[in-house]
Amino acid sequence: MTDPWHIVSVSDFSQETLQRIIAHLEVSTEFEHLVYREAELDAIWSITGFFLNSETDSDQRDLVERLHKAAHEAHDLVADGRAAEAATLLRGLLNHVVP
Amino acid sequence: MLSHEENALLTQTDAGAPMGDYFRRYWLPAMLSTELPMPDGEPVRVRLLGENLIAFRNSNGRVGLLDEFCAHRRASLFWGRNEDCGLRCVYHGWKFDVDGACVDMPNEPPGYAFESKVRTTAYPTHEYGGIIWAYMGPPDRLPELPKLEWARVPQTHRYISKRFQQTNYLQAIEGGIDSSHSNFLHASMDAFRRTPAYLEQVKKSTNLRAKYHLLDRAPQFTVRKTDYGLLIAVRRDAEEDTYYWRLTQFLLPSYSMIPYQKGLSIHGHCWVPRDDQTCWVWTVSWNPDAPLSPEDWDAIQNETFVHAKVDPVTFRPIRNADNNYMIDRDRQRTITMTGIHGFASQDQAVQESMGTLVDRTRERLGTSDTAIIAMRRLLLQEVRALRQGQEPFAAHHGDVYWVRSASTVLKRDVPFEDGCRSLLAAEV
Repeated sequence: MTDPWHIVSVSDFSQETLQRIIAHLEVSTEFEHLVYREAELDAIWSITGFFLNSETDSDQRDLVERLHKAAHEAHDLVADGRAAEAATLLRGLLNHVVP
Repeated sequence: MLSHEENALLTQTDAGAPMGDYFRRYWLPAMLSTELPMPDGEPVRVRLLGENLIAFRNSNGRVGLLDEFCAHRRASLFWGRNEDCGLRCVYHGWKFDVDGACVDMPNEPPGYAFESKVRTTAYPTHEYGGIIWAYMGPPDRLPELPKLEWARVPQTHRYISKRFQQTNYLQAIEGGIDSSHSNFLHASMDAFRRTPAYLEQVKKSTNLRAKYHLLDRAPQFTVRKTDYGLLIAVRRDAEEDTYYWRLTQFLLPSYSMIPYQKGLSIHGHCWVPRDDQTCWVWTVSWNPDAPLSPEDWDAIQNETFVHAKVDPVTFRPIRNADNNYMIDRDRQRTITMTGIHGFASQDQAVQESMGTLVDRTRERLGTSDTAIIAMRRLLLQEVRALRQGQEPFAAHHGDVYWVRSASTVLKRDVPFEDGCRSLLAAEV
């Protein structure tokens, strides 16, 4: 069961990590939940940014770039209290994301 | 990360800026009482929230806090004569009382019609806990003083310092509530490298911070929104069946406390915007039960912990950017992470190195920054609420500040809310 009071540990941007973040977004309503979701999305945005800065020849760049941008948009939706919309945005991208 | 708009909203504190209006809803530490030691003593310049002010203690001991510049020709009242219950401008002799009323206008004819109508900006002040507090907001929104424990202990139980910092107030707060930096910035090299000798030494320590803090570098953060602001709980692994918990408060608009271990002294900070590029860092150490110990005074005198020695007029730390905070590269190679002496100077060095105003659109945060994210979101929420006419709750409920930080070791199956409840109430 997804517990919105729990912070998802973000050490990569795998499907599994993103699925967990989305599941948490879908049940987040309180101030604290939104703070945790924002921290997770900040982390995704950071590590996709690190990837894009360092992996200049990777054939995954296009997908990661889309994820990087989506993480930013989702982050701003969460900041605006719209966690469910952020979940929908990320879910729409999920099937195309780096494994 | 924050948007440009959010960053500006949080960091701009002049009059009329939303965050400036927000800070102006609270009593703010303005000066040490010792800066105005006697009635009719020297006036002192004060800069707060982008305003240049002049403070003086009148013949009756009351403190006035006025616009620095005379209402007549805008000469500085710093040159003024503090005499007979008022501050007299030396340029043409106009004299103002602590409430800002012009009580003498000797260069105009007797009976001059405007003398009784001239006023200068004057802010209410209150002396409490060794500090002169100022209220710079609307007169009809006068808040309550925060019932902070350190302000209520006897003078012998407390030490307060203030220092000038060349950064916006927000990045100073962020440093104060960021628990994970101390594993690095404030660490010794033995602790950072986890040498066998160090591990052996900490095993025997009764100081929980020494024993557990530096060993778990990736703590778990929990935040709870409260009436006073935020309760920030940071969990580190202790023994196999226990966690080491450090609980600190972020109190609106800009206070924090370092987690307290029973039997030792408590330390806290308040960050007050001087303007958008600089802030005042207030640091308090107190013992709720007894006078400060010789060990406390040793740490204060030798600047080993949270206090730093400052220039007595400007309050700029002696270790500052102009002398590279007196960094000792030999010590950095062998003894400490930074080679800079004292926690206060270490904090100030990294915070000032970020520039006066960080561009938060360019930062790279992670889940270890949860407390920082929560603090920013709370302040944004508060500022936006005020813009819609909702007055800040904490400003009008001084009792909510009646809390204390804590640190303790709990069994892993005990929630911190239960295990720490009795530790979080102030007692004095």
